Amino acid sequence: MHSTIFGSLGFALFPVLVAAITFMGSAMIPYLEAVIPGGTLSLVVHLQFLLLGVMVGGFGLLGQEVMNRRFGQASLLAYSSRSLPISDRRIFATFVAKDTVYYFLLWVLPFIAGVAFGIPLSGLSISFVGLITVTLTLSFLFGLALVFLLSMLYAKSPALLALVLSGVILIAAGIVWLQIAGTVYLFPPYALYRDFSAPVFCYAILAIALPFSVSISGMTLSFSGREKRYTNQYGEIAGRLGGLPAAPLVAKDILDLWRSGAFVGQVLFSFLFPLAVIWVSLSVLSAVLPDVQILFSFAAVAGVIAATMYTWLTEFDSVGTYTFLPLGTPDLIQSKFTSFSVLQTILVLTIAVTAILSGHAREAFPAVVLAVSVSFYACSVMIYLTGLWPAVMVYNARVLLSSLLMIGPVLLVFIWLSLLDFRFAFSAVFLALPAYLLVRISLRRWASWEKVFF
Amino acid sequence: MNAVIEADGLTRYYGDLAAVDNVSLSVEAGSLFGLLGPNGSGKTTMIRMLTGQVRPSSGTATVLGVDVVQDPVLARVKVGIIPEQETPPSFLTASEYLDFVARIRKIDDADEKARWWFEFLDFADKKDVLCKDLSRGTRQKLMFAQAFLHRPVLALIDEPLINFDPVMQKTVKEYLREYVSDGGTIFLSTHILEVAEEICSDVAILHRGQIVHSGSVAEILARKEKLSEFFLNAVGKDTYA
Repeated sequence: MHSTIFGSLGFALFPVLVAAITFMGSAMIPYLEAVIPGGTLSLVVHLQFLLLGVMVGGFGLLGQEVMNRRFGQASLLAYSSRSLPISDRRIFATFVAKDTVYYFLLWVLPFIAGVAFGIPLSGLSISFVGLITVTLTLSFLFGLALVFLLSMLYAKSPALLALVLSGVILIAAGIVWLQIAGTVYLFPPYALYRDFSAPVFCYAILAIALPFSVSISGMTLSFSGREKRYTNQYGEIAGRLGGLPAAPLVAKDILDLWRSGAFVGQVLFSFLFPLAVIWVSLSVLSAVLPDVQILFSFAAVAGVIAATMYTWLTEFDSVGTYTFLPLGTPDLIQSKFTSFSVLQTILVLTIAVTAILSGHAREAFPAVVLAVSVSFYACSVMIYLTGLWPAVMVYNARVLLSSLLMIGPVLLVFIWLSLLDFRFAFSAVFLALPAYLLVRISLRRWASWEKVFF
Repeated sequence: MNAVIEADGLTRYYGDLAAVDNVSLSVEAGSLFGLLGPNGSGKTTMIRMLTGQVRPSSGTATVLGVDVVQDPVLARVKVGIIPEQETPPSFLTASEYLDFVARIRKIDDADEKARWWFEFLDFADKKDVLCKDLSRGTRQKLMFAQAFLHRPVLALIDEPLINFDPVMQKTVKEYLREYVSDGGTIFLSTHILEVAEEICSDVAILHRGQIVHSGSVAEILARKEKLSEFFLNAVGKDTYA
């Protein structure tokens, strides 16, 4: 699909780009190791691959197949079990395997290749590269397996998910707080990195295979035949939003997210869970960064993650619903941007709560300003580069490179400024101007596009 | 008589395939025009171009005086459209969907009009059901209602009777006839010739993207020929061999 849309070259260059970025990053390793202990750096990288697995699982697998099947927008392939002699578990397992291989080749392997080619720059050994090939791959798979299991539990029963999650968090917190030996085994692939032995390898494999197996065997079709009925809540919501641009469309987005269950699922698996991993990653750097600076780095990165809420709104909607109405692509972009703005309350609450819980209530407001400003800016870049199709077009190498160049330096500048003095975080409001201009330009830029991705 | 649809040399390529190839046609106000053709002949592409959903590779078209290439959104303001494949959004109820369309189109008295459609098409008992849980036939009724909710002077319908049972087909055909006699214009595409013969005043036959015949149904029937026979001759019987 991706190569059909972008052309073979545009798609093929994507992993090449990932490898190139990693190769260049390899040159930074000797300098980073001078400041950050090697073990800490390795842990952060493993956590980033865990995060990658979580985000891929939260989107690529959940977004199209699991959530859609659970909540009604079935794809022909996924529903083949109705008409062909193949079970839905087998279809599902095939999708799991397919997407695992696909994203491994798209992300993990290019990263490893970049590190391998960067050996002369980084001074790492070939055996080390061999080691991280295994452990980073397992970290990715671990993230994927975890979010898979959690989403299966959620699809079965949100209460069951809450129960399981609470239990796991309590146990993990207890282990960490009591400093029980073996904390590292909470993250099996990283434990393997620290101790590459047969028993730990088996443990890591089991830690991945078990959630995968449970989620596949727990996967059931939900065709109860019940008709869900609601009184007209849409009218009330649209009325309340009357002052907002594209209020009828925003009201529909809200109902879509809520009634499909995608809202809770996406907040958990595509926002809070990744942010938790990021917070842990940054906390690991507490030896070199003061707590308050971790908060602002977290806020800035959270802003970039929050920008993907625009992708939630576009991916779970079908543009085909609107093609026969008097709406153009600019109208839809404007409505999605407005809906995105409403969703930023989640980001605000998350940063505020994080600031308070980490003992930095005084810095909550500037942290929120930084996060929200970065989020709107990153979203405007996404709109400019991808229109209504961010989840698809991000796999075009040119789009990925452009987004990295437009967002990356800006992010680093504001993190650096907030490190100098947290009050500089307020300067992030100046991002409102380029964000506004990018959205305005995008409305013209995408006006002539045909609605092909539906 | 005014032409409400004028197409001149409309062409649309998908890669190397000309789905619609240099089609010119004119639809007069007050007619019930049928675009006929076998599967894959380009009917849906034609409707999508006339409604601004798809940009032609070349050629021009105006709908109610609006250039659909220059201003596709304005064209869709003025007309009602029933697509063949698109369905209403999954997580709104049927009544919410009509409310949604009414707000997009800024329709007055939307509640009353929606109520009328629910009664007329006999699906009032489904108005609070999520669209994803509606049967295909009920979804089609809903799409029909949304197209005519604002009482447009022109409606473009792709396969109007698809998914309807015989009773509902009769109801819809009567409605379309009455709609035209009240001054409206219908442009429909179908591959069900009996429908065209029964209700259309004029037809054009599309085959492999090109018009192979256009004219009034009365002329065809005056030759003591059934529309189906005429159609098969026009597209070549080998198509169905």
